[in-house]
Amino acid sequence: MIWNAMSDCLERHRWRRAVTGGAEVLTYEDLGGRIHTAAGLLRAHLPEGAHVGFCLGNRTEYVVLYFAALAAGCLPLLLDANFNTGEIEAIRSDCGLDALVIERTKVDALGLPGKGDPVPFDGDVAILPLSRLVEPPFRPRPETEVCRFTSGTTGRPKCLEFSGHAVVSAASNWVLGTGMTGEDRTLCLAALSNGLAFNTSLLSTFLAGGELCFLKGSPLTRPVARRIAESGITRLVAFPTLYRNFVAPGGPDRAMMAGLKHAISAGAPLWPDVREEFRAAYGIDISDYYGIAETGPCTFERQAGHHTGLGEPLPGVEIRIAPPHPDSPEDPEGAGEVLVRTSSMASGYLNHPGMFEARVDADGFYHSGDRGRIVDGRLHLVGRTQDHINVAGRKIDPTEIVAVVTALDGVADAVAFPDEDLNREALVHLVVVAADRESTNELTKAAVVEACRSRLAPYKVPGRISFVDEIPRTGIGKPRIAVLREQLNTSA
Amino acid sequence: MNDHELVAMKKRVQRLVYIAAGGKIKEEELGRWDIDLRTIGLDSLGYLNLLEGLERTFGVAIDLDQEEDHSFLHTIDNIVRYLVAQQGQAA
Repeated sequence: MIWNAMSDCLERHRWRRAVTGGAEVLTYEDLGGRIHTAAGLLRAHLPEGAHVGFCLGNRTEYVVLYFAALAAGCLPLLLDANFNTGEIEAIRSDCGLDALVIERTKVDALGLPGKGDPVPFDGDVAILPLSRLVEPPFRPRPETEVCRFTSGTTGRPKCLEFSGHAVVSAASNWVLGTGMTGEDRTLCLAALSNGLAFNTSLLSTFLAGGELCFLKGSPLTRPVARRIAESGITRLVAFPTLYRNFVAPGGPDRAMMAGLKHAISAGAPLWPDVREEFRAAYGIDISDYYGIAETGPCTFERQAGHHTGLGEPLPGVEIRIAPPHPDSPEDPEGAGEVLVRTSSMASGYLNHPGMFEARVDADGFYHSGDRGRIVDGRLHLVGRTQDHINVAGRKIDPTEIVAVVTALDGVADAVAFPDEDLNREALVHLVVVAADRESTNELTKAAVVEACRSRLAPYKVPGRISFVDEIPRTGIGKPRIAVLREQLNTSA
Repeated sequence: MNDHELVAMKKRVQRLVYIAAGGKIKEEELGRWDIDLRTIGLDSLGYLNLLEGLERTFGVAIDLDQEEDHSFLHTIDNIVRYLVAQQGQAA
């Protein structure tokens, strides 16, 4: 279904510009030709219905190979480009991977047992065929056309299955709900494996007949502004840190941003002062997007000048607020768990059967774990009901980090909880108790960081590490985070 | 550039690293200019902030795609060496 929708776009908009990456510009006709060639390559090297993992940063080749995989009848699994070997191996054993799309230079570093040599593709991209040592225990549903991932526990990312209907619905509702047109040029700085980029930029751009642009190099404000000015970018899809850097002293000139009409932020809550300062500096309201990996895009602020909340539900999205939970007496009036029903919902977790279904109620609403309320038709979040730590849009299970650290020699106890750095960026704060307090000097921060770096994806490595003599706990052994925070603040 | 100017530059870079890391790295941890910043907790977001700071402070645009070897960003010593070389080329 996704490929049918894309084929239609390639035909309808054939003379328009489709993808720009660096200096290369592809029209829809060029893109169609590249997709057909790539699909032939995949058919020649991979079995029918192959599971193709994408472990790649944003670039034109990603778009080409993604649609080529769909055209060739393969199942694309969009991995986080930062997943480490252990996480890729876990996906491989849970879900089955017949090939990995990856930068050539990373093939050796990952050390995955390939099935023959990598197949060179355009640019610095290669297709690494993989052997299936054993049949994976889980089989995707017949209607599944794409899989994406959320952080799992113990290094096993959870694989979300999406039907073609769900993916096309998410894209077409985004086009409709945000007024996207063929005149839009979207600069996408979020990873295409992430729901934000996947739903707001990939298929949606092409359904509208627009142009999708990528930035070569690091997402620094000056290159971004230069790109916006030179390519006539109308939509910027980025993350709060970039917007904060824009409004820091010495940021790019307003004139460079003159063509920009929509600035979309996601991944983490946008700071209200940054939103205000960005409007003052550049005359543009940043839309704080709210989407959930399991349900797709949820809200968008359509009304310029409305500066609070996360906007109204998009077409195809219904939001309810559950009655307040007795354990959350601090919630403001009218707040409760956010329940979402969309036409772009996932079908389930491939490698965690029943887990997704357990969070969907009898009316088909997904229990998001976020707490919020509706004010003037707009969603306002007030917190989370679960213990996950959200770092730049990636939800991290603290128990995974604690398991790695407590397995180290010399560690008696540990706890991880959400915190902020001085730039107000969310981070994982790890608090460690040394087994032998006399030898605390030997258990250094560098040693703990190194252990985490070798066993966890980079975004899971704690941003702050503190050592204490004892972690305060309740009678049933639950860490008393509020007390611990107070102790740490006092001793800082 | 004389030794005094080099030390001053390292201190400015040290301060930029501290700000970029959002306080996750303590100032005393940055006292050794040859320490690998990655091992004391400068993550990808911190590096992004640091690159912004270096560009705005020293006027040196760093395009990581143009640099095959990124070890010039691993220590304060290396960063300063790189900045001096870039400023020398621009002069």
